Amino acid sequence: MTMTVAERAALLSRVTLFAGLPEASLQALAELAGEAEFGDGDAIVLQGQVGTGLFVIVAGAARVVRGGEELDRLGPGDYLGELAVIDRMPRMASVFAVGPTTCLALASWDLFRRVDGDPELVHSLLRGLALRVRHLSEHHSH
Amino acid sequence: MAGTEELIDELSDLALFADLARPELAGVAHTLEEEWYADGQRILREGFSGTGFYILLEGEVAVRIEGQERARLRRGAFFGEAAILLGEPPGADVVAAGRVRVVHVAGPALHEFLMRHPNVMFRMLQEQTRRLRSANRWAR
Repeated sequence: MTMTVAERAALLSRVTLFAGLPEASLQALAELAGEAEFGDGDAIVLQGQVGTGLFVIVAGAARVVRGGEELDRLGPGDYLGELAVIDRMPRMASVFAVGPTTCLALASWDLFRRVDGDPELVHSLLRGLALRVRHLSEHHSH
Repeated sequence: MAGTEELIDELSDLALFADLARPELAGVAHTLEEEWYADGQRILREGFSGTGFYILLEGEVAVRIEGQERARLRRGAFFGEAAILLGEPPGADVVAAGRVRVVHVAGPALHEFLMRHPNVMFRMLQEQTRRLRSANRWAR
């Protein structure tokens, strides 16, 4: 699968982590993103490894596994690997492709370079993670 | 009430502002409003609008959801940003535990404050990451 920059930007605009990002920022991210193909059962990220990339699923599916237990299933538009990219600490879970899966991959060094001159990008990441923190506390209370 | 120079010194000790040189810190200090709260006073109210971004300078606050204490925050901690970023009412009560001193940015002014100080925003992002990791649970 080869996507144009415009197609990548359109896909990124639908990811909650990048919601509301101005067109120019999306475009710049889309230009930095690479496409990565995974076969059934391939590891997209591995628990315990230091992360160097953030992935957005374009097509296919993935399962999130920690300590042998499946925690979640992901599909097109879902993202993974964002925490390790921000803090450069080891991954908390592994994610494996289910069937042939295509992802957009953003390298941490590219993302960091963008972050410096693109406060809107940091703002959208902050908002995306705030949403996750809120979901955590809601799940906790119900 | 601290003078501006004292406030700049205080802010420079906080991790949130660790990347800022003094002139930028001075700008921050001018934007922030200082407030005191008495023991038991609510700073943020779960489910109610009227929000701000708060940074704790002195004392301790309790974070309560549905009346149950979930966390204690101390000097240097910040709160209130999630409600503003998400455009939702606060998800918790934040209550002063003893006398508390904070500085705050009013909700409507937060976006401009963050755009002006991307390094502060990046520190906040790292703290969010830490919170998600320490929850040690999977949630989307």
